[in-house]
Amino acid sequence: MAIIGEWIRRLGYLLQRGAREDELRREMEAHRAQMGEPPAFGNTLRLREEARDAWGWRWLDDLVADTRFAWRTLRHSPGFTLTAIVTLALGIGVNIGMFSFVNGLLLRPLYSDEVVMLDTDSTTLSGDEARDFSYPNYRDIQEGTTDIFTGLAAYSIDFVGLDAGAGARSALAAAVTGNYFQVLSAPLTYGRSFTAEEDRPGAGIRVVIISYPLWEQFGAGADTLGRLVRINGEQFTVVGVAREGFLGTGIPGPEIWLPLGVYEIFSRDDEARTFGSRESHALSVIGRLRRGISEDRAEAALATVGRRLEQAFPAVNAGYAIDLSSSTGPRLFFMPGVGQGPLTGLALLLMLMPLTVLLVACLNLADLLLARGYVRRQELAVRSSLGGGRSRLVRQLLTEGFLVALVGGAIGLWVSTWATKTLMASLRPLLPAAVSLPDVSVDWRVLLGTMAFGLVATLIFGTGPALALTGRAAAADLKRQTGDEGRRPGGVRIGNVLVIGQIALSLLLLAAGGLFMMSAIRSAAADPGFRLDGGLIVEIDPGLAGYDEARGRQAHLALLDRLRTVPGVEAITIASGFPLTGFGDERDVAPAGIPDARSKSVNAVFTAIGRDYARVLGLPMLGGRDFTNAELLPGSPERIAIIDDELAQRLWPGEDALGRLIQLVDEDESAPAPPVRVVGIIPAVKQSPGNPRPSPHVYVPLGQHYESAMAVQLRVAESDRAMVANIARVVRELDERLPIVSVATWRDHIDAGLESLTARAGAGVFAAFGAIALLLAVLGVYGVKSYVVSRRTREFGIRIAIGAHPRALLWHVLREGGRITAIGIGIGLVLALGAGQFLQGILYGVNSIEPVVLLTAPLILLGASFLASYIPALRATKVDPTVALRSE
Amino acid sequence: MMLVLRVLKTQPLHGYAIAQRIHLVSADELRVEEGSLYPALQKLLVKGWVTAAWRASESGRQVREYRITPSGRRQLEAEMAEYRRMARAIGLLLDEA
Repeated sequence: MAIIGEWIRRLGYLLQRGAREDELRREMEAHRAQMGEPPAFGNTLRLREEARDAWGWRWLDDLVADTRFAWRTLRHSPGFTLTAIVTLALGIGVNIGMFSFVNGLLLRPLYSDEVVMLDTDSTTLSGDEARDFSYPNYRDIQEGTTDIFTGLAAYSIDFVGLDAGAGARSALAAAVTGNYFQVLSAPLTYGRSFTAEEDRPGAGIRVVIISYPLWEQFGAGADTLGRLVRINGEQFTVVGVAREGFLGTGIPGPEIWLPLGVYEIFSRDDEARTFGSRESHALSVIGRLRRGISEDRAEAALATVGRRLEQAFPAVNAGYAIDLSSSTGPRLFFMPGVGQGPLTGLALLLMLMPLTVLLVACLNLADLLLARGYVRRQELAVRSSLGGGRSRLVRQLLTEGFLVALVGGAIGLWVSTWATKTLMASLRPLLPAAVSLPDVSVDWRVLLGTMAFGLVATLIFGTGPALALTGRAAAADLKRQTGDEGRRPGGVRIGNVLVIGQIALSLLLLAAGGLFMMSAIRSAAADPGFRLDGGLIVEIDPGLAGYDEARGRQAHLALLDRLRTVPGVEAITIASGFPLTGFGDERDVAPAGIPDARSKSVNAVFTAIGRDYARVLGLPMLGGRDFTNAELLPGSPERIAIIDDELAQRLWPGEDALGRLIQLVDEDESAPAPPVRVVGIIPAVKQSPGNPRPSPHVYVPLGQHYESAMAVQLRVAESDRAMVANIARVVRELDERLPIVSVATWRDHIDAGLESLTARAGAGVFAAFGAIALLLAVLGVYGVKSYVVSRRTREFGIRIAIGAHPRALLWHVLREGGRITAIGIGIGLVLALGAGQFLQGILYGVNSIEPVVLLTAPLILLGASFLASYIPALRATKVDPTVALRSE
Repeated sequence: MMLVLRVLKTQPLHGYAIAQRIHLVSADELRVEEGSLYPALQKLLVKGWVTAAWRASESGRQVREYRITPSGRRQLEAEMAEYRRMARAIGLLLDEA
């Protein structure tokens, strides 16, 4: 209490400084007058200052004075200031950019702390998915926990076919309970949420809530409510628009929300057919805790409900247990097999790169400050001898640093918005559909991060030089003559070490960028095992239009027949997968009729295909025959397959596989797999650009396996843009309800694949970071060399005066620069080799030692650093001996 | 600071009078310099142990008069008790040793 009072009074003194000081002056004058003559009263100004210290604002006065002084000093050397600010702005900018990216995607919570996700486990469930609640179980849990949760919502996420008038496309959707938006505290912008009637399983009331971005696509009009859209082939009425930026429970956010009552339309899972029964575990459950309810109490209540559910329905709910999920909810769920742990690792890796750039920037600044500091040694020595304490001097130097960091950070914030945009743009094509992405703009976390970066940067680059410059030796500098400082080996040596560090780190980033680029080039140039040119792919998914298997098959075949007649089409087929895209259905294949088939099986890519598959890919039949038209329809008694020579070799090395029987080993081994006869053999193709070897494949005729999402493959005379557009038009004309996922040339299709994109995005990002680091390193070399040359003006002057040839001087300076660069490159190469070792495992087709990269990157650095030291060296040769000697 | 508080305990005084009073009461033994008096007074003000107000003195001069506050009195008592304890201890040591 007393402390607070004191602070309030102190603040009063600060705010009414003028009046208070005036009071003090009048008081002291009165005192002096009363003392009579001669006044023994000391220096009033000094006394006033001392008295004022009692108010406790001395530090603030000092800070203001320091800042003013720093401002003046910095303004006097615009070159230094500009370089320092640009360096910091770049260093901080890329960090904030990457940080807001990582923050928006990985760190920022999607919903508040009171919202918890439920987790369940029972012996009748497999796996540890969060999507484990049946609708009746959800309702029972809801009823049993009304005193724990203000609301308990259920949802399920899936892709649907969405047709808003411009043709059907694939869209991310969520089927949710009506209170979902309320539990997530995300009131709708327009319209209403779902009613209890619409929620009821089987209700079939076709209403939809759309996302804000979708609403904007619709023209952002008030008339959007009531508008009709087609979802999975059914007409739905828009009843609401979600809040701007609302992502639901994961990233990316759904585009549309449907009531649970239309689950059968929403999902094509096995669960959809039985949705509403207690056996159909299709839902995830989230709840908002009541105020003051601890998680422990919630878990206890949930456990009670779980036990009750187990007793009431022992058959389905055996071993039923419910608790709160420890994870903060699924994020980035579209990335297969990525949990919370790897994401943290990914975030770290992403942050490592810009941090290296920041480190280079800090080294650079330390360099600059040091070089400048030596110029200022005399000034510092004078101040120190006039009574400036060391801590006071260090504080002054750090204030200068903070001022630079402040301006640099502010500009960095601006640089970062650009960096973030680039990163987001590079992420867009990775996403399966037009989905809502989180807001990655600056929030308080980013601001905090910026301040932290600036602070850390200042401390790193400022403290060292400040301490070095104010050490005990500093006082001795007063006696020194100006020209001598260049000969102090200590300062130059520290500067050199810093430059070596910068060069080494830049080389590391450049080399990493080079490896990514090599990988991108190699994967693009790799021989896929078939003719890539002249191919088109049309991806369709009749299931998204609500077609069942029979109608889906009809749609596939009708499309084949129609496209076959398009002029320019030379051959056509259909397949459930396509090589080189990385993804593929897989089966374990073994010779039929052998015991212990699983252990002898070969993992092969499994594809259902139509006729002419080999012809379209430009492959010869190595033996046997193609499928017949009859085999493309279901109901054929004998199971047959075409395999590639890779699989044949692995199953029966050195023997002819044609006519033999294989079996496709299934997940559950209860039923013996039916034998499949090999009727044809074709050459192997590569399934993944990241795998240099062709993968074994097994192809079955369309009739034996149905998949809704198929790709029609065409070999055309000319695979140009006009042909792509023409094909797309024909497909739409044939069946306007048929969702077209994509129409593209094979090359574009493969380039859009995840693996190619990763390599290219990585190459771009690393190259950009490498370029920035290179720029900073060059600035560093230039700064140190300039400083050295300017310090040694006198020496060069004498050398020239006694007859040194300018070229010899030039060479002398360049050689010194070259030595530093060589050491830096040496260290950098070791680092680059380490990075290569690490990236070798991630990237396609690169070795840890890549001569091209390991030669090019150092050469770039060498050239750049040569240029950077050439200009100062040239200046050394231009020294006028008379001027240099007079400067004493 | 204890001395200043002590002389203010009996009556409110202005700066010069405080110095005079300490000089007088201590039988000319103690002299408080302006260099330590005014910082001390500022500190007391900030701590809230005294308050100050401008007033016309007997001689018609505008002076700033300091007045002790209740919390200042408590502080004085605490400091005096502490001082007496120390003085007694030192006295004992000087007598006995």
